[in-house]
Parts: sequence; structure tokens; C-alpha cells
Amino acid sequence: MLKALSTSFLQHLLAQNSWANALLQPYAGKAVQFDIASIKANIIILEDGGLAIAGETNIADATVCISASLLLRLIAQDEAAKMQIVISGDTHLATEFAKVLSNMRWDYEDDLSKLVGDVSALKISQFGREAVSGIKRNSIQLAEMLSEYWQEEKPLIAKKRHVEKFNAEVDTLRADVARFEKRLTKLTQQQLSSHHQTTDSSH
Amino acid sequence: MTSENNTHFGFKTVAEADKAKKVGEVFHSVASKYDLMNDVMSAGMHRGWKRFAVEISGVRSGDKVLDIAGGSGDLSKLFAKKVGTDGQVILTDINASMLAVGRDRMLDAGLQVPALQCDAEKLPFPDQYFDCVIVAFGLRNMTHKDLALAEMQRVLKVGGRLLVLEFSKVWQPLSKIYDVYSFKLLPLMGKLLAHDAESYQYLAESIRMHPDQETLKQMMVDAGLSKVDYYNLSAGVVALHKGYKT
Repeated sequence: MLKALSTSFLQHLLAQNSWANALLQPYAGKAVQFDIASIKANIIILEDGGLAIAGETNIADATVCISASLLLRLIAQDEAAKMQIVISGDTHLATEFAKVLSNMRWDYEDDLSKLVGDVSALKISQFGREAVSGIKRNSIQLAEMLSEYWQEEKPLIAKKRHVEKFNAEVDTLRADVARFEKRLTKLTQQQLSSHHQTTDSSH
Repeated sequence: MTSENNTHFGFKTVAEADKAKKVGEVFHSVASKYDLMNDVMSAGMHRGWKRFAVEISGVRSGDKVLDIAGGSGDLSKLFAKKVGTDGQVILTDINASMLAVGRDRMLDAGLQVPALQCDAEKLPFPDQYFDCVIVAFGLRNMTHKDLALAEMQRVLKVGGRLLVLEFSKVWQPLSKIYDVYSFKLLPLMGKLLAHDAESYQYLAESIRMHPDQETLKQMMVDAGLSKVDYYNLSAGVVALHKGYKT
């Protein structure tokens, strides 16, 4: 029954974002699996441009994988985190689909107004928005505080500049090793050729 | 008569020629109380299952929809709203009593839905005519399910889809409770509410004789449909299969 409820919610969301139907319609019949923080949801695009949770035996055409840590960075609006989303299968479909989904908005204020009236819905929504934004702000502050504590007071995690310095040293070492390897190969070849010449002349 | 000419009618074995007549008698008997009994038996869940089927159909304005074994017209009513005035929904049933209930309900709701009495194994429609064909709680009563599925596939346009909403195999841990409900409570409710225990006994038996989710999926593939997928609803009490004509 969870699939039916989720599908109803997706259909409701699309009814509030009718612009999305036309964008999704070309991909009708295709499914994208979202694996977000180990929670999987396989969403299929319907013939009318609607969305539904796919059935029991559906094989997704594309997969979008977001780990729990990446999810936190995305919530904190870290632009670099977007580059680390793992997409497999039909990447064009997954990218377009994710773009449409990320631009869809749930007009919960409109839904609430049908239950409690316009004024109450506005007040509840404002309260909700402030609460969510407060929680988000405090979470980011807490994360920054913990990060500073673990970097400065009780070093458990490395500082960004130290990681960058380490990476640069690894790069230099890799280049040095590659140069050394080439030189070694060259010397071995020289030694082999001189050995052949000595053997030939002795004959 | 050879065993090849026999089929099942619930747990009984009957001649193929008699099955349609016997199923007809069951539905003639329950037609007037069909909606009430559906609500009581499924605790109103059949409405949710049907709404879900319409959501999954992907039917849009202007589409042509065929509702097979549409009975009291629940689905035709929902589809008629989806296809709008540019589209077309045709309600069909082999049983005249059930079709009359559906036809009257459509008229009462002010919907122009043609009601047509026909056999799903010999559909009176041209090839590639419909965008969507649906059969809800009707396939298990059909004598030759393979022929009926092939006919449904024939009348679908390329890209069209067939939806089969039907009782199916319930989630194993619930099977004992479901058996008690089906074989003890259901006939009792039939007796008390519709004064017809036998018809509801047949209903329970026919559900058990119907193919499970995977078997029906394979039957749809054999009928020429592709990308067949299914949804288990209410722990598999009901399954919704969807397949495409390609």
C-alpha cells in the first residue's frame, strides 16, 4: 500500500507542478532508481507525463546514487557535492529527471489551506519554514563547530590545507617515481645493448 | 467429453461450454448488491485499488479506453473524467445484468459512456484501436484467459497498455487468515447481505484458482505484451499488472 500512497503523492506533486508533465512525457515508460542514503525508490514515468513508484519487477533504466554524507552536503547547498552524485545507466534520462525533480515544489500551504483555512495555513507554513531554516542553520553551525574541534582541539580529521599539501606531495612523489622508472628502463636498455656489443665483438 | 474440454468453475470441474453460463448466473444473482458487497468484503479498499489502477494507466485527455468486464462501471467513471470530451471510454461486460447496472450509473452521473455487451474472447473492435485496455476483477471468470489476453493485445495501439487488476496470491504469512476470511466469512456475508452464499463461495474459490502474479505476468508476455510489471496491493490480495504493446 506504500507504493499506492507514494504514487498518489507523486501525482499530487505533479498536479501542482504541471509544467513538469511536458518535460517528462518524452521519457514515458522509463524508470529511474534513486538510491539515497541506502533508501531505494524506483520511479517510473507514465504515458501522460505523470510519475509513479515502479512495480515489483521493474528494471530501472538509470540509477542515481547519493550517499548519506553527500546528502548532508547537498542539504547544506555545497555546490561541489553535486559533482559527486553517482549516475549509471541512461545518464541523459537520469540527469533530466533529477533536474525536473529538483525544480518541483510542494505547495503544502495550498494543501493545508483546504484543511485549516487560508490564514491558519499561512501561519503554520511560516512557522514551519522558520523552524526548518533554524534547524538547518543550527545544524550547519554545529557541524562547523565539531569540525573545528576535531581539527584544532582533538585532531581526528585533517584540515583542508593539510589534505591539499599531502595530495600535492603524493603528486610530486608519483611524478618522481615515474621519472625514476623511465631512467631505470633507459639505463637497463643501455646496459643490455652494450652487453650485446661486447658479446658480438668477442665472437 | 475429453478433459481438454473441461475447465474449472471455482474448485469444481465443468464443461467449457457451461462455464460462461454458470459465471453468468453468479453475476445475475449478485448484480443488484454488487457494490454493497464489494464495499463490505474489501472494507472499501476496492475503490483505492481502482483509483490506483487509473493513476498507473497514464491515460490522458483524448485517449481511447476499453473497460472490459466493467460491471458496475467504477473504472469507466474514473476514466471518463481523465479522457475528457475529446476521448472515449467504452464499457463492456458479458453479463447483461451487470452491464445494466453500469450503464444506469453512467447515465445518472451524466457521462456519455457507451455500454456494450460482448465476450472478451471475441472483442468486436478493430486492431490497434485503444490506447488503454483494462480488465478489473474479470479475467479470472474468463474460460480462455490466453485468448482473452490475445484479443486485448490485438485491439491495443502500438505503445498502448493493458492493465489487469485481479485478486492474486497473498503474502504467505497472511495466507491462513485470508483462507479463514475467504471460505468462512465471505460466504456468510454473502448469505446475510445478498442472500446468496453460493455465489460468494464461488468468488473465494475462483480467486484461489486464478494464476499468481508471476504466472499471469508470463501469460501477458505470451500474449505479445512487453515490459510487463506488476504491483502487489494490500499484501498481494490484489495485483495490478501492466504491459505494453510494442
